[in-house]
Amino acid sequence: MKKIRRPDVAVIGAGPAGLAAAIAAYRAGMEDVMLIERDMELGGILPQCIHDGFGSIVFKEALTGPQYAQRYIDELGGTDVEAKLNTLVLDISPKRRITAVNAREGIIDIQPKAIVLAMGCRERTRHQILLPGYRPAGVVNAGLAQRYINIEGLMPGRKMVILGSGDIGLIMARRVTLEGAEVAGVFELMDHPGGITRNVVQCLHDFDIPLHLSHTVTFIHGKKRVEGVSVAEVDSEFKPIKDTERFVPCDTLMLSVGLIPENEISKKAGVELDPVTGGPVVDERMGTSVPGMFSAGNVVNVFDLVDYVSRSAEDAGEGAAEYVRKPGRRKKPIRVVPGENVKYVVPQLVRDTGRDMSFYFRVERPQRSVAIQVLAGGEVLTRRKAKMVLPPEMIKADISPGDFGGRGKVGPISVEVVSDEE
Amino acid sequence: MVIGGGVIGCSIAREVTRYTPDVVILEKEADVADGTSKANNAEVHSGIGEKHGTLKQKLNVRGNRMYEEFVKGLGVDFKRQGLLIVITPRSLPDRVTGRLPALRRQLLKELVPRLILLSGKRKGIPGQRIVGREEIFRMEPNVTREAIVGVHDPTYGLVSPYKLTIALAEHAIINGAKVFLDTEVTGVNVEGGRVKGVVTDRGEISAPIVVNAAGVFADDVADMAGAGGFKIHPRKGATLIFDKETTTEYVRGSVAEAKLFVKKKSKGGGGMPTIEGNLQLGPTAIEVDDKNDTSISAGEIEEIFERFHYLLPDFPRRSVIAAFSGVRAPTTDEDFIIGPSDTAHGFVNVAGMQSPGLASAPAVAQMVLEILQDLGVPSEPRPGFDPVRPTPALFADQDRKGRERLIKEDRRHGHVICRCEQVTEADVVNAIHGIVPATNMDAVKRRTRAGMGRCHGGFCGNRVAAIIARELWMPVTAVTKDGGGSRLFAGETKHFLEEIG
Ligand SMILES: Cc1cc2nc3c(=O)[nH]c(=O)nc-3n(C[C@H](O)[C@H](O)[C@H](O)COP(=O)(O)OP(=O)(O)OC[C@H]3O[C@@H](n4cnc5c(N)ncnc54)[C@H](O)[C@@H]3O)c2cc1C
Repeated sequence: MKKIRRPDVAVIGAGPAGLAAAIAAYRAGMEDVMLIERDMELGGILPQCIHDGFGSIVFKEALTGPQYAQRYIDELGGTDVEAKLNTLVLDISPKRRITAVNAREGIIDIQPKAIVLAMGCRERTRHQILLPGYRPAGVVNAGLAQRYINIEGLMPGRKMVILGSGDIGLIMARRVTLEGAEVAGVFELMDHPGGITRNVVQCLHDFDIPLHLSHTVTFIHGKKRVEGVSVAEVDSEFKPIKDTERFVPCDTLMLSVGLIPENEISKKAGVELDPVTGGPVVDERMGTSVPGMFSAGNVVNVFDLVDYVSRSAEDAGEGAAEYVRKPGRRKKPIRVVPGENVKYVVPQLVRDTGRDMSFYFRVERPQRSVAIQVLAGGEVLTRRKAKMVLPPEMIKADISPGDFGGRGKVGPISVEVVSDEE
Repeated sequence: MVIGGGVIGCSIAREVTRYTPDVVILEKEADVADGTSKANNAEVHSGIGEKHGTLKQKLNVRGNRMYEEFVKGLGVDFKRQGLLIVITPRSLPDRVTGRLPALRRQLLKELVPRLILLSGKRKGIPGQRIVGREEIFRMEPNVTREAIVGVHDPTYGLVSPYKLTIALAEHAIINGAKVFLDTEVTGVNVEGGRVKGVVTDRGEISAPIVVNAAGVFADDVADMAGAGGFKIHPRKGATLIFDKETTTEYVRGSVAEAKLFVKKKSKGGGGMPTIEGNLQLGPTAIEVDDKNDTSISAGEIEEIFERFHYLLPDFPRRSVIAAFSGVRAPTTDEDFIIGPSDTAHGFVNVAGMQSPGLASAPAVAQMVLEILQDLGVPSEPRPGFDPVRPTPALFADQDRKGRERLIKEDRRHGHVICRCEQVTEADVVNAIHGIVPATNMDAVKRRTRAGMGRCHGGFCGNRVAAIIARELWMPVTAVTKDGGGSRLFAGETKHFLEEIG
């Protein structure tokens, strides 16, 4: 039997969340921090995101993905964190026993005092959205296409139709156009774009790529390779309208139809998941339902901005360090519930009102001239105005201990978006 | 010579190698099992669904009984897990006592299960028994509350149809057979009433005996030999596949709803896990014009949801991870057509092999062997026959000790490239250099499950493509999904820009 490794903190996944969590745990005094990554390099998804727009909050600069990642990788280099690459976690038990495997060491047992789950998310596939048609080559997820083009130097096709106007889809529309491919159109089921406005302008409008809202792909044609797709307008229940159906020739259908937090091993570890976010139910330190298990980044919910990922991961890293020092009983949590025009809020729980914390949330529908309010037991704690809120854009509301006004016990916390038109 | 590398062609070829190593399989696709044998529901039926007295009913019951012996030495799992047939208010058509609810309920509860048992007995299916309502829910807690009573059919089993087909082909090869992939038969040479061989898109091959196991194309191939006279009308069936994780929470075994006195073209289907543990719901049955119509329509998806929502309410809709369609090969009279041709001596048709073709395969192979022995295949078993096909062990299928051993033998087993199914680099390399080599993405998937999981190749796709390219000394841009024109990439980056200038 090989020796069991017993680090203070083990972080699973070395994307932006894992990097920030590992560094934060180390800075918080943890001497033995292990960072486990299944890929051959650090940075997670960032190395393939060669467009800019990363770091505007954390670094107050517009960086590319690789640049943003490199800042953290450099910082990690200055710590004693042990990074294990090419290592896949096979299992985590509710007692925090990790089983991992790599080619060098074989199967490894790890029993850390605390764990940060930072496995990121994966792309939803054509089957999960039940796209009808054949199953030819040439149906590719936008994130994978990005990897093919930017890392491996391979073009998935020449003439594309893109389904879904999420940020990755928009960025890839521009990327493949710059590579000399043609984008016949971006089709979006909803009546508003899935990605942030800046990307709609800079990636589509600037390149004259048509965006068709309230449209979907109804059939994939081609037995061996994609030969085209049928598209149609949809009604208010998202059902295709038959006589609007038309054929669009293309050799590739690129899908940007959503991301799913990657929580298969969290489930095995007994972590409670939120059916709305698809990620663990967490408290303000990103602590999950299993004591000593924290989670960070897109495994919790899909943040739009990497800056938020890093920030929330720092909380998780510090939370893990704190748990290692004081593994005792946790305070009973206060629930955080979504109020008016709020789809969900992360964290879902607050245990300690005596520290600064951030609530991340999404609205259900676009709304102009609003006030964003955080309430406790029905009383407004903070209120901030905003000109416009959109479902694709995650909103952050910060709270400091003073906002609780010295209230000892507080009722359920809620976050709401209300009209501010007087 | 066998035309068609499906489960039927490969079963026959393997059977024949017990007597002579002189067997050739011709397959037009880039892999065996690439026709209907990869796209079916993997059920080894007991035979209860087939009309009494038909050839397919007899071969189904016989084939089912032979399965353990059939897979022995192949390194393929077969699980006789049983089928729960559920009787619901829908099990009788409305025209039967539709207006007499009390009588109807009585019939459903008392008569219908006994009719099923009686029918089973007549067909020679052993072990069936009636299961009370409470026991149904103990066996399958998620079955509809409308269930009245059930019948348990213990001989029903599950097998991976493509793994079985590949294993049969490989077992035939180690016993002397040859398999030619990417080889399409375009003509059959017949001279003076005797078969001489076949014409393919890669040249002619002579053979005194030709077996037509061309699946949905069997009528076309028969016509090439002038041995036809039957027509196959393709009938498509679509199935949805669900995430393993939700499956185990949801169903324990296979369940089907009994439907009596309905004119059914194919078995009703139901909810059944694959042998790997993914729930399948389906299949549909739709007549199509095109024998290659493996598409799935929005209407079919709806139909599946609607149909099985009744039998299995609240099934995990959101966890569909794949959908596929297969094409059945029924003839006009809906039965198997197995026999030598009168006009072209040496030509044998094995046609109309629709469901339960997989379940019947062992018995079909035996029946065809006997026909071939009449035509000159030796009748003495050959001493040199190797009963075991060497099977590379998959990392995911091992326990901890087995995994450690594999890594010790080959470090590349420590490199997991498909996270959903825990497939290692060594697994992929072994598949590529297998006895029937896997030269494309789907072929690797069938052997290793890489890309078959919930992310559907999102993580491993590029890794598998790179390994195929590396191992087969070809550029990545030449790697295909499924042979032929199914290239994954249009070229390298910057390539189009150079073209445009
Ligand atoms: C949706 C569905 C579900 C089913 N479920 C079940 C089930 O649960 N249990 C069961 O027992 N049965 C089931 N069946 C039926 C079963 O799949 C078939 O009976 C079986 O696969 C038939 O095997 P085959 O070898 O005859 O045909 P195929 O697998 O189609 O093989 C024929 C092969 O011949 C090749 N070929 C054709 N023409 C030529 C040519 N000219 N030259 C060279 N090669 C050629 C084709 O490429 C193909 O690979 C199902 C079928 C469908 C469609």
